[in-house]
Amino acid sequence: MWNDLLLRLRSLFRRKNVEAELDDELRFHFEQQVAKLIQSGLPPQEARRRARLEFGGMEQLKEEHRDARGVNFIETVLQDIRYGLRTLVKSTGFTVVAVLTLALGIGANTAIFSCINAWIIKPLPYPQSDRLMVFETHDKKNGWTRENTTSAADFFDFQKQNASFEQTVAWTGTSFNLTGDGPPALVDGGRVSWNFFDTLDAKPILGRTFRPDDDRSGAPHVAILSQGLWQGRYAGDAKIIGHNVAIGGEAYTVVGVMPGTFQFPLMGVANLWTPLALTDKQRTDRGGAWLPAFGRLKPGVTPKQAEAEMTVFFAGLERQSPQTNANMTWLISSMTWDIRRKEGAPELMICFAVVALVLLIACVNVANLILARSTSRAREFAVRGALGATEGRLVRQLLTESLLLFFFGGVAGTLFGLWGMKLIESWIPGRIRGFLINYGRVDLDFTTLVFTLGIALVCGVVFGLAPARENSKLDLNNTLKEASGQATGSKCGARLRRIFVAAEIALAVVVLISTTLLVKSFIISVRASPGFNPANIMVAQLALPKTRYTQESQLRNFNEDVLARIRALPQVDVAGVGSNVPFGGFGQGVEFEAVGKPAPQPGERQGTHFTAVSANYFSTMQIGLLKGRFFSSADAYGSSPSVIINQTMAEQVWPNEDPIGRQLRFGDQHTVATIVGVVNDVKMYQLRPRPERQMYVPLAQFPSATLGFVVRTAADSTTMATAVRDTIWTVDRDQPISSVEPLETLMAVVDAGNRVVTRLMIFFGALALFLGAIGIYGVMSNLVSQRTHEIGIRAALGASPPQMMGMVIREGMKLTLIGLAIGVLAALAAARGLATMLYQVTPYDPPTFLSVPIVFAAVAAAACSIPARRAMRVDPLVALRYE
Amino acid sequence: MSDPRIDLPQGTLDLLILRTLALAPQHGWAISERIHQVSSKALFVQQGSLYPALHRLERKGWIKARWGASENNRRAKFYELTRLGCKQLEREESAWRKLAAAVAQILETT
Repeated sequence: MWNDLLLRLRSLFRRKNVEAELDDELRFHFEQQVAKLIQSGLPPQEARRRARLEFGGMEQLKEEHRDARGVNFIETVLQDIRYGLRTLVKSTGFTVVAVLTLALGIGANTAIFSCINAWIIKPLPYPQSDRLMVFETHDKKNGWTRENTTSAADFFDFQKQNASFEQTVAWTGTSFNLTGDGPPALVDGGRVSWNFFDTLDAKPILGRTFRPDDDRSGAPHVAILSQGLWQGRYAGDAKIIGHNVAIGGEAYTVVGVMPGTFQFPLMGVANLWTPLALTDKQRTDRGGAWLPAFGRLKPGVTPKQAEAEMTVFFAGLERQSPQTNANMTWLISSMTWDIRRKEGAPELMICFAVVALVLLIACVNVANLILARSTSRAREFAVRGALGATEGRLVRQLLTESLLLFFFGGVAGTLFGLWGMKLIESWIPGRIRGFLINYGRVDLDFTTLVFTLGIALVCGVVFGLAPARENSKLDLNNTLKEASGQATGSKCGARLRRIFVAAEIALAVVVLISTTLLVKSFIISVRASPGFNPANIMVAQLALPKTRYTQESQLRNFNEDVLARIRALPQVDVAGVGSNVPFGGFGQGVEFEAVGKPAPQPGERQGTHFTAVSANYFSTMQIGLLKGRFFSSADAYGSSPSVIINQTMAEQVWPNEDPIGRQLRFGDQHTVATIVGVVNDVKMYQLRPRPERQMYVPLAQFPSATLGFVVRTAADSTTMATAVRDTIWTVDRDQPISSVEPLETLMAVVDAGNRVVTRLMIFFGALALFLGAIGIYGVMSNLVSQRTHEIGIRAALGASPPQMMGMVIREGMKLTLIGLAIGVLAALAAARGLATMLYQVTPYDPPTFLSVPIVFAAVAAAACSIPARRAMRVDPLVALRYE
Repeated sequence: MSDPRIDLPQGTLDLLILRTLALAPQHGWAISERIHQVSSKALFVQQGSLYPALHRLERKGWIKARWGASENNRRAKFYELTRLGCKQLEREESAWRKLAAAVAQILETT
């Protein structure tokens, strides 16, 4: 065994020596034979002749030897690679086009795959993350499921009684007003059960995690910082442990610092955590489901078993408190999947499918190029065949060449993909990164590299084999006889190329139609009015701390004071304030019932978005009034409560009735308010979902600690931001402001995922169109040059140039139409898979299905016309002489 | 002129080479000469089979090669049996004898 390897290696690396030895050995044998024959009495010349006859072909013998040495295979491969490199270098144009085409196709896949790898394939950064389950509240009667929320009382009861979970954890994301040690800052973070970090198995780099004692209402305040916050605000001072920081005006003792790698994507960006420490009243509230929760399954307990336990548990609660729990149960869903869905897994998979198609197009294109080139190399192969190369040997040679091509394509594609993945990464707004694993970082890691070179190799074999087999079919006689004057190319090769082109066009049409549908959805969703006019609106959001603003009058004074000062700023047209603003951070909702309508069944509670607004809010946002009136100074503190509802709520609650003057009861206080107006629907969180119920109340009657000031201004946004910030600080120096930015920016952040997908789709669609056009151009142009001779004859026989041009274009368009027809049919099937991602566009959108093939046909016609014009200019004399 | 040579049955060449080398290290030509003579000119090993066979045996480690001087003082490659080769020869010899005896028995009885 060892011996064998050594000999093989010697043969491989000391080839020259080994060959020389073989020469010596054989020559010695030959001469011995000659000597023997001479001894037996033959004349020397005759002896040599006889010996040579006996010996047979020296070269053939040597070849058999090389086979016996067992390294022939590697040697041939090396030889093929050397030869392949030479041919590729010689035909620079072909190589550059092919490698670039592949680089685009492979690079697009690398970029998308790296995102999928980073966000979807890699497991969550917690040990045994497959045992982490999030809880969802499910209404069995109406079928809705509220992701990631539980009611507090349900949660704590389940925590006490369940046998399936090792740990159960509740948490809620929030923003903290951090003061002292620098300018006031609003820091994103969360309030969490004491076992939050332990359940995720996250260890602090400094200090400790929370303890059960920390999580009691009234316990001494403690906090844990992120490494980023610790290093940024507190200069990485190790003495921070035990140090007090001011959160919302109260002193919190820092007990730990979490490493920068710790992240909980469901919470988003988080730099500060405090214990949940709910009051007894909060802990026993069964009514509202607002508390996100998750648990870690005990080893050996399956999610099914856990869910079965929940079903029994909640059936008991239904009987015990039907008022709140009728029809309610919990479902569990794997935390991994919950995070991945929020990371845009479905969108990424569609992108992946699209880039896979683009890669196919690129590969077919290159296979076509190889085929085209080989028609001109037919003589080379014929000569090699005549010299004794077998078909298999030629296939190997050609395959090596294609693999080299695809390998270079893979390397170039990796570079292109690296650029692409960094570009995609840069498109993700910072605020969204917190929801992505590893803050959305995408890297070219080993998996991605293996994937890239792997697809290059697989495609190289698959798409190199077809042309290689086609080309190695040797027809020595004809090829050599034909000399250079080929009347037509090899029949078979030409047919394969036509099939390739039609397939390529079909694929490109599928890609183009899919991307067009998605892009169209995006344009519709962006163009559609959100129910207000976001242009030239600046939004300043802040939350007043309950510790300093204890009285409602303080809240009222603050917002009136700030609003008056902002209105006085130069260049401010109009300004208003709401307890929350569309696409801002502070969404609010309340339950309500219509006075005079039958009381709802137990467990059937109606909810609505809730916003308290100043009188000028609607005119500043330019929200349209449909009926009744806006709020006025009459809806002041102390007067009877009034309410404005949106169109959807009016239609759902008072169908075919006039809601003006009717009353509704809402909130914990069961406040009764009279409807004074109906306004149009406003999109609150996202551009796409259907409108939901909304109600507005006067801020003067319902003061709020969360505020979003909206300012309509023609001034430059950065100047305005500074002015608004300073204005707020003149009223309260210690008030952190979460953000001052254009409303359009807030909307763009929320819609960032769709924006990224749309940009990618535009790029991939254009790429598919471009590659398809190149494909048809390549085939037609090759066809024309191969048929120069034929065209010359036709011209000599009297065909007019336009006739000739028509012939070429007809030929090209025939292929195009076949491709288009197949492509449209395939796209009809493919579009069904897109249905969930489309917005107000059906998967069979007629304009798209009509316009894409027309555009494609036009582009193909243009691509054909270039070689067609060349055919038109063929001079019969030159063509016929050009042998 | 009728050729007195007979074709070598498949697989016997290795045995013959090993057997020949069992006496003394030989170079390729001498091996073929010896087989030719010892077999009363009935067997003739073509170079085309001899050298690939030698190299194959070398790779299997049954023989090893070294360069030396021939009878007439030319540089020649001598092959000699290794220990492994000795064992292999024994195995092949006994297998061959059994086969030959069996074949002979069949030929005689029928």
